[in-house]
Amino acid sequence: MTVHLGRRYGFPAAHRLYSHLLDEEQNRALFGKCANPYGHGHNYEFELDLRGPVDPVTGRAADLPALDAMVEREILSVFRHTNLNDLPPFRETVPTTENLAVEVLKLLKKAWPAEPALGQVVLEKVRIWETERNICELSA
Amino acid sequence: MIISKQVEFSASHICRSTLLSDAENESVYGAAANPLSHGHNYLVDVAIEGTPDPVTGMILDLKLLKEILEAKVLHVYDHRLINREVDSFAHKVPTVENIAIDIWNRLVAEIPPPATLQSVRVHETRELFAEYRGEA
Repeated sequence: MTVHLGRRYGFPAAHRLYSHLLDEEQNRALFGKCANPYGHGHNYEFELDLRGPVDPVTGRAADLPALDAMVEREILSVFRHTNLNDLPPFRETVPTTENLAVEVLKLLKKAWPAEPALGQVVLEKVRIWETERNICELSA
Repeated sequence: MIISKQVEFSASHICRSTLLSDAENESVYGAAANPLSHGHNYLVDVAIEGTPDPVTGMILDLKLLKEILEAKVLHVYDHRLINREVDSFAHKVPTVENIAIDIWNRLVAEIPPPATLQSVRVHETRELFAEYRGEA
């Protein structure tokens, strides 16, 4: 039987929303206080929507320890307590929640095939909370 | 159109399979394999699909849905050790996946047509939920 799983993780990080393709005034108009020069931070949370067949012995649709270890290695240890603007993917790209979701999905899709324990598990969606009221969802 | 109702129950469980060794159980379930059990406040989202009745404006009488959920879910699960006291888990590990399937099985024939059960989502913690939509 196919079951859908949601697994949620979190990391704190800093960012500044500022595009080098826009001038000072345009950045201020577009990003408001998010463009303040020294940046600011969030407790980011993200949820992975997965789909998999329930193993008749374990009752599990995904190997959660294997998933957690992979997410720790590929995502959490990369972003936790960082300034997103200093990381290679965001040196030229504004670290909005949208772009962060794109990057998280890209890293996961790259790592997924190397995880035999997740062979039958399909990643369907990534949902990122920048705050309780600012959420971005991206289908895989 | 879909309406969703949430109910909560508190229950304990042990995630161990008799078909696995102690080491395998520890590796698959981690701390949840503790043979002395542990518990959660489970949140259950039950989604009902249908069209609002032209007279009542409702897909399903929510009072009736509440009664169904109390009888078929809360009465069965609330303040129970799931492995011992919920009969469907006598020989099945009460993972959140299996609990979602079990609640679906208890509800699917109870929803009065033309409304239908769309999904059962069980949140075990803030970090983990399982949703069953009746898929094979």
